[in-house]
Amino acid sequence: MIEEPYRWVEAIANRREYIEAQLAPGSPIAALGYRDGILFLTLSQTRQKIFEIYDRIALGAIGHPGDIERLRMAAIELASTEGFTRSAADVSLRRLVHYSLSPVMKSAFEQVYGPPYLARMLFAEVGGRPEEDLFLRVEYDGEIATNGATYAQAPQDFAVLSGTRRSRELMEAFLKDQHAPDATFQTTLNSALDAWSIGHMSLQAGDTSELPERAALLRYRREKLSNSGIEAALIERDSSRAIRYHSLSDTELRSLIHD
Amino acid sequence: MGTKARRWRRAAFAGRFEAGHEGALEKNAQGRSQPIEALSPAHGSIMDPLPVALDQNSSGAAGDFAALLRRKGLLGPAAISPIPQAGTQKTWQPTEATTILAFKFSGGVLVAGDRRATAGNTVVYDRADKVLEIDRHSIMAIAGVPATAWEMARVLEHSFQYFRRTQLQEMSVDGKVRALSKLLRDNFGFVIQGVGVVVPIFATYDSHPKPEARLYFYDAMGAQFEATDYAATGSGSPAVRGILYYANNWGATPLHKLNEDEAVSIALRALDTAAESDTSTGGVDRSGKIYPLIKIVSREGITTLPESKIAAVFKQTVA
Repeated sequence: MIEEPYRWVEAIANRREYIEAQLAPGSPIAALGYRDGILFLTLSQTRQKIFEIYDRIALGAIGHPGDIERLRMAAIELASTEGFTRSAADVSLRRLVHYSLSPVMKSAFEQVYGPPYLARMLFAEVGGRPEEDLFLRVEYDGEIATNGATYAQAPQDFAVLSGTRRSRELMEAFLKDQHAPDATFQTTLNSALDAWSIGHMSLQAGDTSELPERAALLRYRREKLSNSGIEAALIERDSSRAIRYHSLSDTELRSLIHD
Repeated sequence: MGTKARRWRRAAFAGRFEAGHEGALEKNAQGRSQPIEALSPAHGSIMDPLPVALDQNSSGAAGDFAALLRRKGLLGPAAISPIPQAGTQKTWQPTEATTILAFKFSGGVLVAGDRRATAGNTVVYDRADKVLEIDRHSIMAIAGVPATAWEMARVLEHSFQYFRRTQLQEMSVDGKVRALSKLLRDNFGFVIQGVGVVVPIFATYDSHPKPEARLYFYDAMGAQFEATDYAATGSGSPAVRGILYYANNWGATPLHKLNEDEAVSIALRALDTAAESDTSTGGVDRSGKIYPLIKIVSREGITTLPESKIAAVFKQTVA
């Protein structure tokens, strides 16, 4: 196997194609930083997609539930032991993802004798100020994308995850235009819902590379809201809170939605 | 990883790789590396011993943070009690030098502790915090060796959070009470050796099935007792117990009907009485203006009473 690089490359390419096909129908997840924290949001009919990892860290994931569970557990274990031996302030999302999760996911992906992790994850770590929020998207092959917080470019205070690249890019284009880090909770909630709808429309429609018309978007959003539940969670910026992660209930959110 | 593993690999790839590659395939399969312990590569877990999370779930210990710490070598193993031998038995002297009290009143559970920390007959610290918040609704108040007690509180605090994060639900009150009991039991070897005795009180608010404040006290071996009205621990507790018993039975109002000011007043009086005869209890330091620490657990969570409020009640009803 190793002696034949071509076979290996071929196997990897097949595997990538297979995983992408598996992940493609995954419902989008949007994470938006705003004045008082970071909001995670998705619409779903089945299982939970948004989880608490540690004090300031949350996770949204699509993929196989078994793989998500193993990665989630590993992330919680790593963060909890670090937080216990040192302090909650020493638990860093960057280290967790770059040095622990990514290498393992990469090697599982590239060792073609065994199964890869069938999961795409979006981590967010809330900072003291919106500029300090960190978003990391981790792919099944260990690839990491950030919101630009590391490098010279201006960071965006949001990140999204979706089944396909096109869907994700449309959501990003929309949020880049619509979302401001100093927004209120209600505005942020509505932007997140719009972004989700755009991402989901793209998954259904396929080839569109244009953002939908406002009216069509609202119609789609209304239709989806009528037959699915809102799953959302918040990590609060206020460090005096004992527990910063809160799940938000569908009913309390619906009263804040406006067209 | 034996013949079974090899057979599986062969079966899985028989269609794509020819027989000639089998040797290389096996070599590679066995020579792979495992980057970190917590997360073995996905393929490893198929045939290797079950992955951590799964093993835990099936053994009924899901979400056990203390077990995770032990596995990673971050928490010492449970101390083994020395077997007493004839003729060498020493009488064990409990040395929980402090006074902690807790009782239920109309606004929840009040937990109060003096601030003195002693080593033998020396006062080492007069602003010790022995009433510790474990989570939004739970307080652990400690009498005993501070190093062990604070470590226990830390393990407990992280255990509850770890459980909530991994199991996606809050740990039940019974589960929390039991978790502390287990930590005490694991520590008992040290207690017998004369170091590390801890005798805590645990107060929490149970929101279901019936919303009510709950109060527990423990012995050094980890036995838990639910208190209906009040509990006290530490070297000054006999005096406190007497006062609370008296107040509850023959006082103007039974403890559970007291309002907040009345409750604070009783707590201060009791601690002051304990300090009168017990040198290890700080009580109220009138010249240094150091007041006991008082926290209240209610449905809304934990409130730490501001010193100004305690001082006012003290001035009015105690001094």
